[in-house]
Amino acid sequence: MIPIEFFLIFGGILFAIGAYGVLTKTNAIVILMCIELMLNAANINFVAFAAYNGDVLGQTFVMMTIVVAAAEVAVGIAILLNAYKSKKTTDVDELTTMRW
Amino acid sequence: MFIEFSWLIPLIPLLCFVIIGFFGTKMHEGGGYLAIAGAAVSTLIAVLVSYEYWTSAAFASGVPYVASMEWFAFTSTTGSFVMNVGVYIDSLACMMMLFSSFISLLIFIYSVGYMSHEGNKKRRYYAEVSLFLSGMLGLVVSSNFLEMFIFWEIMGLCSYLLIGFWSFKHPEGDAASINAASAAKKAFLVTRLGDVSLMGGLFVLLYAFQSLDYTVLFDVNNIAAVDSNMIALAMLLVFGGVIGKSAQFPLHDWLPDAMAGPTTVSALIHAATMVKAGVYLTARAFPLFVQVEYVMLFVAVIGGVTAFIAATMALNNMNIKKVLAFSTLSQLGYMILGLGAGGYVMAIGIKHGDPALIAAGAAGYVAACLHMMNHAFFKALLFLGSGSVIHAVGTEDMRQMGGLAKHMPITSKTMLIGSLSIAGFPLLSGFWSKDLILESVMDAFTEPVGWVFVILWTLAVITALMTAFYMFRMWYMTFHGEEGHAAKHCHGESPRTMTLPLMILSVFAAASGLLILFGFGDTVCIGFDGTKFIVGNGHGHDAMYYLEHIFTNVYTYVTILLALLGIYVAYLMYNKKTLNPGRFNKEGQSFIYRLFANRWWFPEFYDQLSLKLGYGTACGVDFIDKQIIDGTVNGLSSSVVGGGEVLSRAQTGNLHSYAGVVVGGTIILAVIAVALFYFMGGI
Repeated sequence: MIPIEFFLIFGGILFAIGAYGVLTKTNAIVILMCIELMLNAANINFVAFAAYNGDVLGQTFVMMTIVVAAAEVAVGIAILLNAYKSKKTTDVDELTTMRW
Repeated sequence: MFIEFSWLIPLIPLLCFVIIGFFGTKMHEGGGYLAIAGAAVSTLIAVLVSYEYWTSAAFASGVPYVASMEWFAFTSTTGSFVMNVGVYIDSLACMMMLFSSFISLLIFIYSVGYMSHEGNKKRRYYAEVSLFLSGMLGLVVSSNFLEMFIFWEIMGLCSYLLIGFWSFKHPEGDAASINAASAAKKAFLVTRLGDVSLMGGLFVLLYAFQSLDYTVLFDVNNIAAVDSNMIALAMLLVFGGVIGKSAQFPLHDWLPDAMAGPTTVSALIHAATMVKAGVYLTARAFPLFVQVEYVMLFVAVIGGVTAFIAATMALNNMNIKKVLAFSTLSQLGYMILGLGAGGYVMAIGIKHGDPALIAAGAAGYVAACLHMMNHAFFKALLFLGSGSVIHAVGTEDMRQMGGLAKHMPITSKTMLIGSLSIAGFPLLSGFWSKDLILESVMDAFTEPVGWVFVILWTLAVITALMTAFYMFRMWYMTFHGEEGHAAKHCHGESPRTMTLPLMILSVFAAASGLLILFGFGDTVCIGFDGTKFIVGNGHGHDAMYYLEHIFTNVYTYVTILLALLGIYVAYLMYNKKTLNPGRFNKEGQSFIYRLFANRWWFPEFYDQLSLKLGYGTACGVDFIDKQIIDGTVNGLSSSVVGGGEVLSRAQTGNLHSYAGVVVGGTIILAVIAVALFYFMGGI
């Protein structure tokens, strides 16, 4: 059996890549993709712990997360589409009208 | 038989007040005849009640007649209290209600003539004087301090209304109206200052005795159970009320200004009723006052100082009513001095259990009560006489009068009797009471701090000289010498309704002092036999004691000589004119003259004090309101607004900075969590 540390380190690396992407990328689509990476990093942790504890609850929760993530992506893409329609860009550095 | 109905005495004028107030315009003389009838019925009941009390067994054993019922009860953290309402009739109350109702009756009769030109304002006048009389008589028969205080305040209200009677449509124009309004306001506010003090005193008494009933408060056992410092505090505060109401130094200045009201009102307020209320209260609360001797010393000093200061102000005043006003102040000072000196001796007597000292102190009480009654008669006479003069010549300035004796024979003669009486001419009423007061001050010479009384006695004797001088200065300036500007169009003698009260009063003014020879000293006196205080029978001195005391004392003759000297100097200056008064005061330029004419600069002092104090306090309050309270509120709101302004800069709209904050925050939280884990050794 593969030791749990491998899964956790993999999840951590995946999460760090996602966070790095969120912080550095300017394209809103890429940022959304990075958020998906972070979510899936958390999912991997859930699944790993569920498998190792013999508890199905973690896997159940992952199903939940996938559903919510799908909804979130749908909403996020819809917002982006509208933003692109009015601003002609998906660059988050340009989309700064919601400010003081 | 009648004494059960003594509660009617104040209620009948009150009823008259209500009826006149509502229907006065439809009645003859604006309800004046009803007011007279009310006063007459009150006088009649007062006579019957007094007769019954003075012939009763209660009087013979020296106890008052008391009837009261519960009014309301309440419980607080300091105890549970029952407030009663009722009547308390003793010799002092009988004397007060007799002379105040009788003199008020005469003043009301006089008013029919004096106020005949007032038209529709008569209704207001007669309603207010009836309420006023009700206040005075109610105060006299009250059975506890709370009831007394209510009537006390009714009088305060009526004095305000009556002094300001001409605060609009004054016969002499708008300036006089404004003057009347401000005089009324001054009288009201200055006496209010004393009333606050009195109320504080009543609170202290209520706290100490758990009751305000006279019967409880004057009981020796109850007094002994209370800390004497508490009584001293209460009595000093109560005396503060007396200072306000009886216009004693330093709150005396409202009374001269109160002359802005009609002359009948001056006679009513300043002779027969209101200013006597303070003296009456001091006499009424005598059993409490004499518990602490230094309170009595304070009372005596205030009285002596007032008597002297007020007399000096009368010396050079040109207004006939103002002279009488200062004279009233001065005579009230005498009464307070008599009570204070007598009470001081009595307090020491009670402390050492010395019956001789107690009896000597009681003489001061008798003297003050006698002077109160005598003064009521002769001052009412003088005020009404001056009103008759003013009515005839239309001015109050004595320089414009003169030579009125042949135009107004009755007024002139009756006022001569009043002046002689107040000046202390031998065997007239003022002589007896004034000399007895001086005697009682002398009795205090040998006691501790007797030197204070030596000074007070000297002041009082000088005051007697000044009294004789200024009264005859007034009389000669008004009725003798060449005719002044206004005297030339004198209307002649006043109508019968005005001269009749003058004649009746002159009889009393001349003779009321003789009552001391017919048992007054036995009737209205206070005694202490170690177990209870006795107001009334059996514990005073008889007539011979007083006769002997007065005529074997060499200082009595000194006082008589001084009074005669004062009259003679006034005669030389203002009738024969061989002595020019201008020689003594550098034609009105000397400091002393200006000091007296400006009332020792008391009005300026009041104004400055209230300006500095009142305006300063107002500025301070304004500062606190604007800077501290408003500042706190405004500061809070502007800091919230400003803080929001600053913090809103964090909303850059840049997604990366938000994400950075979120990630950074998460990292910090994670670091903290790990550090806690590491250092605290797990959860």
